[in-house]
Amino acid sequence: MRKSGFSQFLIFMLPALILLSTFVIYPSIKTTLQSFVDENGKITFKNYKDVLTSRDTIDLSGFSRGFPLGTLLHNAIWIAIHLPLTVSLGLILAVLLRKVRGGNILKSIIFLGMVMPMIIGGVMVRFMFDGNLGVINAFLGLFGFESKTWTAYPETSLFSLIFGSVWLWTGFSLVLYSAGLETIPRDFYEAAAMDGAGPFKIFFKITIPLLKPITVVVVTMTLLWELKIFDIVYVATMGGPGGASNVLALQMYTYAFRELNTGKAAVVAVLLTTLTITASYPLIKGSSDAR
Amino acid sequence: MRRLVLMVTLIILIGVFLFSKTLTVIGPWSGAEMDKFTPVLEKFEKEYGIDVEYRIYRAEDLANILPAQFAAKKTLGDVIFMWPWFVLNQAKKGHVIDVSDVIDESKYLPGVLDNVKMNGKLYGAAYTGKVKPGFWYRKSFFEKHGLSVPKTWNEFIILLEKIKGIPGIKAPIASGDGVGWPLSDVTEHFIITFGGPNIHRDLIAGNIKWQSFTVRNAFEKLTSLLKKGYFGEPTEWTLVLKQWWNGDYGLYFMGSWITGMVDDPNDLGVFSLPGNKGIVFGADYAFIPKYTKYPEEAKTLLKYLCGLEGQTEQVKQGGHVATVKNVPLIAYPPVDREVAKLLEGVEALFDLDDSIGGAFQTTFWDQLKLLWVRPERIDDVLRTFDEKMK
Repeated sequence: MRKSGFSQFLIFMLPALILLSTFVIYPSIKTTLQSFVDENGKITFKNYKDVLTSRDTIDLSGFSRGFPLGTLLHNAIWIAIHLPLTVSLGLILAVLLRKVRGGNILKSIIFLGMVMPMIIGGVMVRFMFDGNLGVINAFLGLFGFESKTWTAYPETSLFSLIFGSVWLWTGFSLVLYSAGLETIPRDFYEAAAMDGAGPFKIFFKITIPLLKPITVVVVTMTLLWELKIFDIVYVATMGGPGGASNVLALQMYTYAFRELNTGKAAVVAVLLTTLTITASYPLIKGSSDAR
Repeated sequence: MRRLVLMVTLIILIGVFLFSKTLTVIGPWSGAEMDKFTPVLEKFEKEYGIDVEYRIYRAEDLANILPAQFAAKKTLGDVIFMWPWFVLNQAKKGHVIDVSDVIDESKYLPGVLDNVKMNGKLYGAAYTGKVKPGFWYRKSFFEKHGLSVPKTWNEFIILLEKIKGIPGIKAPIASGDGVGWPLSDVTEHFIITFGGPNIHRDLIAGNIKWQSFTVRNAFEKLTSLLKKGYFGEPTEWTLVLKQWWNGDYGLYFMGSWITGMVDDPNDLGVFSLPGNKGIVFGADYAFIPKYTKYPEEAKTLLKYLCGLEGQTEQVKQGGHVATVKNVPLIAYPPVDREVAKLLEGVEALFDLDDSIGGAFQTTFWDQLKLLWVRPERIDDVLRTFDEKMK
């Protein structure tokens, strides 16, 4: 009986195992091995040394001189700004639109950014901040500000991309939080209101704590998206000017397809994989705890 | 009987479909540029009886796709136009066919095939080229505002100042952006003018540092103009072309293909920076991947395209300069003859970033975007160039 159970387990697992081995495990191992192979085919740590000491990756002199600061720090800045903005905006909008008439239509409109291909999103971000055609300049022009292409300057290019992409991702957190809000029993709110709790107290003491599992998912998924951000940057600025908006995924692409150096590209891939696994740990842990 | 005829016809049709040879040519030209390339391919089809299909791929995209395709022993096309450094890079890995037997080097301009030559073998051929002669202006714009072509650096500055003073002008010189190469073209012109053709060659060969005095001096000439606001904000190069044509800018540094992109090429005038002794001549290079199904037919096509026949047909369309010798001058449209005149007495030089290629090329483009908006960071930019040359 036990034996047949194991055979059944194997039969059901086999297709998934084959696919995972072919498309995930083998490429991952191969990439990791590749990261230790230099241009001459020798096993070495040179690629790691080159990438991790490169100004492309970390450039601390940027703090006194101005951007770029290196791809690793750019990704960190992206996370530091984009993550709280999209998560909090999604939550606030979900709460506000919950009881508003036509709220679902508004949610659908906000969610459009999420279903749009990120390449198109990148083009739109580029145009939004353009000096000739941009909506941002048109708006700022109302207050007398001079028109400029925000993505063309090292001080503003990264921030333009970060702020410009908030609307692309807010739909994700909005939809998840909206679904999460529906799972909170109304009794909790009614009991709190009877006890004299105001809307803010209810929000902070009931809504937020009960949405914690959703928040873990939203934060983790957003973090992963920010770590592997590529398409928007590629289309809008190509990481420029002077690397001021470059990110890890684009650095990997440049090593692989411009420098044709697969070893260095593999190092960035390993770095990215390590960071994403670390970032997704709370989600994995959360799901195993729930079980 | 009817059935039999139908069967035979069907078999013939299937046979034709299965065994007909259609060569695929991959190039970067689309729109107006493609319209000028199509007649060249049509002539080949007519004369050689081989069908050709043209597909558009930017070199930047090919750089992503081809290495993976070649690793899988496959190819997207039979004849592919691509950067020369990339061709040699792939040739080193054994992915490119040696075409020394069909391309006669003595029939080409001296040195033009050096970029695709390795160990005495040719792995590609030069098609027509485009020159990057200098600053283009509208003759009507100059006449309207009483402007004249400068003969000295001081006159050039005075011209820029005059243009800056014209009402409605955004900046005297339009700055093309997008992929990055338009800024590199104008920068190379400054390097050649103020450093000399040899410095340009030495930079390609890696014999001189970007932070050296001579190179820095050439860059300082450029940054002095940037600091004074003579160059406009980098704007997508086809968009700014229209703006320049409409009078938002006075000058635009661009290659000779501009003649095919404006409404009235006869209204175009061009001048190099005073004292310039060299002009970048950027040829297009084509190669045959090892994995083509029709190597002999592909060689025939390459020989035709890069030979006298194909190049003569191409220069007739305008905006191109032949790399093969003996193309009759009469084949060139009048505006291209004016461009050809600029080449008299100056040295023709390879495109710097196309020759070096690799990571340097994208870094060069990207750093120049930075220099354009922050000219005071010249030292940082030059240092980065030196780092990427290693």
